[in-house]
Amino acid sequence: MSVLPAPLAPTRPAFLTRTTPAARLVAGTAWLVAAIVTLDPIVPARLFLAAIVALWLWSGLPLRRIPARLAPLGFAILSLTVFSILLSSANGDRSLATMAQIGPARITGPAISAGLAIGLRVVVIALTTLLVFGPSDPTRMADSLVQQWHVPDRFAYGTLAALRVAPFMAGDWATIGAARRLRGLAPRGPVARVREAGGRLLVMLVSAIRRAERLALAMDARGFDSGVRRTHFRELRTNWRDWLTIVLSFAVAAAALFVAR
Amino acid sequence: MTEATTGRPLTAVSPPSIEATDLSWTYAGRSRPAIEGLTFRLEAGRVLLVLGPSGSGKSTLARALAGLVPHVLPGRWQGGLRVGGLEVAETPARLLGERIGLVFQDPDSQLVMSRVDDEVAFGLENRAWPRPEMVSGVREALAQAGLSGFEQRSTVTLSGGEKQRLAIADVLAARPGLLVLDEPTANLDPPGMYAVFERLAILARRREHTIVLIEHRLEAALPLADEVLLLDDEGHQLAFAPAGAVGREAVELLERSGAWVPRAWRGAQPAASGAVEPAVERAASGGRAIEAGALLLEAADVRVEYPADESGKRVALDGVSVSVRAGERVALVGPNGAGKSSLLFAMAGLLRPADGTVRLRALPRDGEAAEPMRDPSRLSARELAARIGLVFQDPELGFVAGTARDEVSASARAIGGRDGTSARAPDEQGTDGVLASFGLGHLATEIPFRLSQGEQRRLSLAALALRPPAVLLLDEPTFGLDRRGTEAVLALLDERRTAGQAQVLATHDPRLLPACDRVVALDRGRVVFDGSPDAFLAAPPYAPASPWRDGVALGRPAGSDPAAIPRRGAR
Repeated sequence: MSVLPAPLAPTRPAFLTRTTPAARLVAGTAWLVAAIVTLDPIVPARLFLAAIVALWLWSGLPLRRIPARLAPLGFAILSLTVFSILLSSANGDRSLATMAQIGPARITGPAISAGLAIGLRVVVIALTTLLVFGPSDPTRMADSLVQQWHVPDRFAYGTLAALRVAPFMAGDWATIGAARRLRGLAPRGPVARVREAGGRLLVMLVSAIRRAERLALAMDARGFDSGVRRTHFRELRTNWRDWLTIVLSFAVAAAALFVAR
Repeated sequence: MTEATTGRPLTAVSPPSIEATDLSWTYAGRSRPAIEGLTFRLEAGRVLLVLGPSGSGKSTLARALAGLVPHVLPGRWQGGLRVGGLEVAETPARLLGERIGLVFQDPDSQLVMSRVDDEVAFGLENRAWPRPEMVSGVREALAQAGLSGFEQRSTVTLSGGEKQRLAIADVLAARPGLLVLDEPTANLDPPGMYAVFERLAILARRREHTIVLIEHRLEAALPLADEVLLLDDEGHQLAFAPAGAVGREAVELLERSGAWVPRAWRGAQPAASGAVEPAVERAASGGRAIEAGALLLEAADVRVEYPADESGKRVALDGVSVSVRAGERVALVGPNGAGKSSLLFAMAGLLRPADGTVRLRALPRDGEAAEPMRDPSRLSARELAARIGLVFQDPELGFVAGTARDEVSASARAIGGRDGTSARAPDEQGTDGVLASFGLGHLATEIPFRLSQGEQRRLSLAALALRPPAVLLLDEPTFGLDRRGTEAVLALLDERRTAGQAQVLATHDPRLLPACDRVVALDRGRVVFDGSPDAFLAAPPYAPASPWRDGVALGRPAGSDPAAIPRRGAR
């Protein structure tokens, strides 16, 4: 009785689905750095356009589903932007021209620009994450980190196994809530609510730990981390697409930062 | 990878014999051994079925054969266990792991990877197989498990039966000589169970593996076994014998220890409910032979939908109508995904149907008019708890308190007095009385999470005893319980039913059906059968029908078969 939406996965082979995850991680980092180091909205706006183009042409992801998946984040971004504009210290500067007046709140040009910069930056971070992690499943990411960067098996595949447990925790959380309601427990007041959430969390953690213990035992039984150097069913090697992706992403980041506006 | 040459069996390992000599194991922190003094010899290529009640150390034996005990889990080892000439305690876990494949009970906590072929390859990668051999190994193992063509599938989209067959493929890929299966079908619906047993039967016939099978589904498992090992509830060996020649005395001891016992050994006539007189009550569907009480719950034309991916909505229930009367026990059956859980949740008002209605009411008290039927999703938590209760398959998820005693009093505290108005907290005496009557008197101050599976199940029922709801919903109420545990739960339910409680049991276990008054069968969100257990078992409305019929062993309703329930002496 899963209530979680299906994960976003590529529906067709595309340029980025043929790159290795490690290369996309490098390429994405360049964009994240470029988006964070500046305070004006122009750089994130340029990266935003570039990310849209990359998602559209090279990611292989079903574009129509992306807005729905980002919707919860979209609300956060919107409120972040609005509050950044309203609460900006530039609004108090009498030497700046008033752009808008909402009741007692006076809004200036620099405030709008700073607010947009913050909002756009979060959008760029979200889209870049999608470009890095979207084109292949988490298993490929773990394979890539182990084979290309020599990250320890225990860490990479252990994290991967933990990711498998996560969806069950969501289901447990809902079940626990239902069980409590049916026992007549309806907390009234903020203190009772917090205590209630704490009790619920405790049960969920107990259940998650039990599940993790069983999974760890199953992995041990199949010889995981037994001191033998693992071989790889799916071999990943850095290829020309990786290099092209990295070079292009650095070029785009540099252009977004330094091309005159 | 030059160092990766350690034991890479490119041809199948020949099946090993197993020899236990006075084998005992005590887990660290426990005073009593989990298994004690096991002594037997299983020849190479044979199939051993291990039988015993809860706590008999069946899983511990499985772990010992795989080397997890003593190499991964801490504890004290005594005696000897040789697998194919290797002494388990003195052989590195890695070497044992290459010869032995272990399949666990829960499909969701033994799959590691998100794609089927990666999943099978995982164990081979760990054992440093060269890539070309991995590719052919994965292909062959999937074929053996009946999963050819599943390579690219995501493991989360598989059914329970498919997941367990994948777990079998996982261990087969490494070409072990010994296969150990620890209740591989316990979590499965009848079709999933059937498919797993089909594969096991093929493997058993080939004689390429020594197989140790731990199973509660005895009617399906027994025909596969060459030998059986019987354990009692303290981990002692009752008998080791050919499957067809178990001594009368050993069977009696096994039965007395609380374990399920195969029908064939009980010398009983074939269960009266199977395949006999199909048409007797076929016609009756709504009002039945039993004294029908007041209507307590009514679901009419219920439709439940879940948001799915871009393809649109997934319909979990479609036009489902079910009514439940006071004093009636209804079994809810159907394959996984048929909508059983959704129906239970809709009945409890935890999800609101997209269409149709659910109405319920409290049990009318003597001489008073029944209250009007009400929509559970509009009741407050307190009103709801007084009218309907739900016991989850995993009792742990339902625990709300820090001790067993508080767990029992929690609902009563929340609901207040019987009529749901005056807040009258239960006295400690009443609470402890309930604990005692559920066989939990000595555990009043114990943390619920620390109880055994059977104790947890009884506690989850005890938690509803002080203010028993008019309707009790139970999701797989006997999951993981042995015969004694199952009978204990049924006895407690019988008591409530006599007092007028209506009970709805969602279950995969055909053994429970004769203990119910009515069976409602779901398939793909629709009711496909509503009638007597006899009629259901005579002609299950599914294809193939046989998985739904096997394993009927419990007595008739209302405890008409007391002889079949020998109690163990006071302990």
